[in-house]
Amino acid sequence: MRLLLDTLESLKIALSAIVANKARGALTTLGIIIGIVAVITTMTAFNGMQSAFRQGAAAIGVDVIYVSRMPWITMNDFFEFRNRPNLNLAEAQALEKAFEGRAIVNPSMDTRRDLRYRSSTLEGVTIIGTTEKLPIITNRMPEFGRFLMSFDNRYKKNTAIIGHEIAEDMFGSVSPINKEINIGRYRFRIAGVMEEQGGNTFGGPNFDRQVFVPISTFVKSFGGRRFTDVDIAVKASTISEMSDLEYEVIGEMRKIRKLRPAEEDNFSINKLDSLLGTFNSIVGAVLAAGLVVTSIALFVGGIGVMNIMFVSVTERTREIGIRKAIGAKRRSILMQFLFESAVICMLGGLIGIGIAAALTALINATLMPASISPAILVTAVIISIGVGIFAGFVPAYKGARLDPIDALRYE
Amino acid sequence: MTNSNHSGAVLALRDVIKTYEMGDEKVHALSGVSLDIGRNEYVAIMGPSGSGKSTLMNIIGCLDIPTTGSYSLDGEMVATKSESELADIRNRMIGFVFQTFNLIPRADIFHNVELPLIYGGVSKSERRERAEAAIEKVGLADRMKHKPNELSGGQRQRVAIARALVFNPSIILADEPTGNLDSRTGEEIMGMFDDLHTAGQTIILVTHEDHIAKHANRTIRLRDGKIESDIVAATTDRVIRSKIGSPSAAANTPDFGVEAAGMA
Repeated sequence: MRLLLDTLESLKIALSAIVANKARGALTTLGIIIGIVAVITTMTAFNGMQSAFRQGAAAIGVDVIYVSRMPWITMNDFFEFRNRPNLNLAEAQALEKAFEGRAIVNPSMDTRRDLRYRSSTLEGVTIIGTTEKLPIITNRMPEFGRFLMSFDNRYKKNTAIIGHEIAEDMFGSVSPINKEINIGRYRFRIAGVMEEQGGNTFGGPNFDRQVFVPISTFVKSFGGRRFTDVDIAVKASTISEMSDLEYEVIGEMRKIRKLRPAEEDNFSINKLDSLLGTFNSIVGAVLAAGLVVTSIALFVGGIGVMNIMFVSVTERTREIGIRKAIGAKRRSILMQFLFESAVICMLGGLIGIGIAAALTALINATLMPASISPAILVTAVIISIGVGIFAGFVPAYKGARLDPIDALRYE
Repeated sequence: MTNSNHSGAVLALRDVIKTYEMGDEKVHALSGVSLDIGRNEYVAIMGPSGSGKSTLMNIIGCLDIPTTGSYSLDGEMVATKSESELADIRNRMIGFVFQTFNLIPRADIFHNVELPLIYGGVSKSERRERAEAAIEKVGLADRMKHKPNELSGGQRQRVAIARALVFNPSIILADEPTGNLDSRTGEEIMGMFDDLHTAGQTIILVTHEDHIAKHANRTIRLRDGKIESDIVAATTDRVIRSKIGSPSAAANTPDFGVEAAGMA
């Protein structure tokens, strides 16, 4: 009760002091405002990146398991995997047979080649050899023309489906359908253009800069010894649990590779989850760096508040003397100035939130989807009050320790 | 302890010495002061500057503690109290009235008078009641929402008196209360102290002006940190009675509400 009384009264006193010094308060809070805006936009951008990533990731397929020779993410363990045998098409076909009627199994291989159409050249374009089943896995459809058909693979046809960006870069407004382009040393006929994917904001693969060719043609044309490694995508059609599917795929692959029970898997299972984890750790590092920068901004803002609180305490020395003479204890004086500082910073924080909300709306309208979550708001308010208490403590303590006689005599 | 329970004595100082260290030099602000002040006494403390009267006032007002010696106020041994306990004693037992009024400029009259009650942890409704009563007592009921700078000097000093009275203190300690007022307003304020005294309040004035000191019934003169003279005006039997320690005068802090209602 006593504490509550103190709190309420301190709050009232603090507010009246702030109202009495509006201009100074406004200038002081500027640092806090900037800091809070920085905090919120950093966190909001982080959230935005994550959702943008998820959008892009949907193209990989959320419910798809990839069987590959290597894990997608290798850290220092690369050398453990380098002696693994490549996955080959025969193994992919065996796996497809094992899951017939229960899951879609689609092999693909990729490499990079230069594209050439008349005088224009695109260098190092990702060429993917795959089958007509890819659209089922990735939910990506051609915008014009058609995707690969089973006969393209059966007859090793030189058919190419090009990404949206390639169509724009090489053909402009001309329709690329039935045009012939060179992929490396080979000539292909364009049968379709994929619809735009976007979502490659953060250095991930550019899905609009890919060319799809039949995997049989790919092996014939680009195979060689170095490019025989197949990725096998498995998408469940009747198996509902991803973990069940994963176990079954591992089991079937071990059977195909005739691994003995004691032997380790000599292939890897990759999922979107593992990519997401890596993405999160990268973006987390970016977030951490952003927060370091913003905490420096807040720290500087806090120093500004501390400075103004020193001024406030000094110019109210006599008031402190009066208050002490009529019975204020150190604690009451300490609380009074701490509250003042906390309230100044909280007001700054609230203004910062307002500005950040406007900025977020702007980002949302132009750059990428973004919104401020309630958790961010609460964090921002707590941070600003925390900065206020941090910044106010030393000046408040100085005021609280003043000798009442000296303080009363102060002019 | 000597005489701290002297019946009727509100405050008792025994062999109070106060020394300050100014660099290497020790300054004796008070060098052995013993003093009893009874309930409902009206005392003026006088002396030239450097006589130690400010130091004595600070000690009586519990703003400072003696270097050696003892001081009891209403039975509380002040010299051994912590800073926080001293704040409580100032809050409840002492009503300060300063030469420069010392009101808080941003706060309105009501809040200024209410402030000691806030620090004393009094509930909001009781605070309102008591602060309003004290403001009415000094005749400023119509100015409650005014800021100090909207009032005249005399009115400000009356607010200060209301603030001093609001907690029914054991003593009112007034330091040159008319020093910043013209003589007519000064007399008004002194009239207010006289009325309070009549109503039973113990009052200690610190002043260097004889015509102010004349309002008191007892004049203590300090010189070089010692009591030079301590004269009780013979005409007022009340003082004599309090020196003797009559039970009626030594009763609880007098309630002067009834009498005070008609003053100001």
